[in-house]
Amino acid sequence: MSKHAALDRFGRSGNPVFGNKFDASQTVTDTNTMSLNGAVNKTGILLALCFCSAIFTWNNPIPTLMWTGMIGGFIVAIYTSFVPKNAGITAPIYAILKGFALGAISVFFEREYPGIAIQAIGLTFGTLAALLFFYKSGIIKPTENFRLMIFSATAAVCILYIINLLMYAFGANQIGFIHDSGFFGIAFSLFVVSIAALNLVLDFDFIEQGSENGLPKYMEWYGAFALMVTLVWLYLEILRLLAKLRR
Amino acid sequence: MTAFIYGLLAVIGLFIFFNLGKVKASKKQTNRNDRINYANPPWRRKNAKSKSSNQDQGSSNIIEGKAEEIKNEDKD
Repeated sequence: MSKHAALDRFGRSGNPVFGNKFDASQTVTDTNTMSLNGAVNKTGILLALCFCSAIFTWNNPIPTLMWTGMIGGFIVAIYTSFVPKNAGITAPIYAILKGFALGAISVFFEREYPGIAIQAIGLTFGTLAALLFFYKSGIIKPTENFRLMIFSATAAVCILYIINLLMYAFGANQIGFIHDSGFFGIAFSLFVVSIAALNLVLDFDFIEQGSENGLPKYMEWYGAFALMVTLVWLYLEILRLLAKLRR
Repeated sequence: MTAFIYGLLAVIGLFIFFNLGKVKASKKQTNRNDRINYANPPWRRKNAKSKSSNQDQGSSNIIEGKAEEIKNEDKD
């Protein structure tokens, strides 16, 4: 019995559309795995959502909405980092909430220092493009030691901010150099901006390796979310640095 | 004018991200032995190592049982 029973019965199709395209040797790409294209497109969706909600609070700077965005965004970010499977739902929520916060924060800075928001946006995306180029071309090579260094520096900054927040909450004097516009204040801000920027390299590497190793599709959202978290942090730090430089 | 320059920088940055982001990284970046292993981070590797060394210590080469004397006569 012939293996090609359908061909024997119906004959070969004469439809020219099937001509060259229907080649059995062509490999079928699995659409259920993570891809670079998907991660970049999802980052675009998150940026667009964040931008839309930021425009809303830019025009209506309501402090309640800003705090909802800050605290809600933080809770959603913690949840997403522990449950990446739901990143497809939680990452857009995070982007919208952070947009509310960023829009209101930007307005407060803009009132004090006109033109600062567009400068911070330009520098954030400029840094993103420059580091992506350095990563793709292999000029910056993330290794295990690099990751440990960035991870420990990020954790140190995070602990310092928590201590500062607690001191503020209990009415004590805040840590001076975090908010100072003197030499140490600016040097500290430059250090934090550098750490935030180098975190982008880790995000690029995670997305690259995830697509190489064929991680599940939902990891595209997770990669985009990780990139979004770093971009939000970088934007806020650049905003603070520019404000210190203008004081 | 400053706003225009920074706005342009943002647009160019986004354009580069959306185009270059979809391109695979260079061989110089991907063909390395010291790449980050996300599936098995160093702290997990350390734990696994210490666990395996503990297991090795637990399993000795001595076979339990009754000791028997080997006589030269038996050998011959």
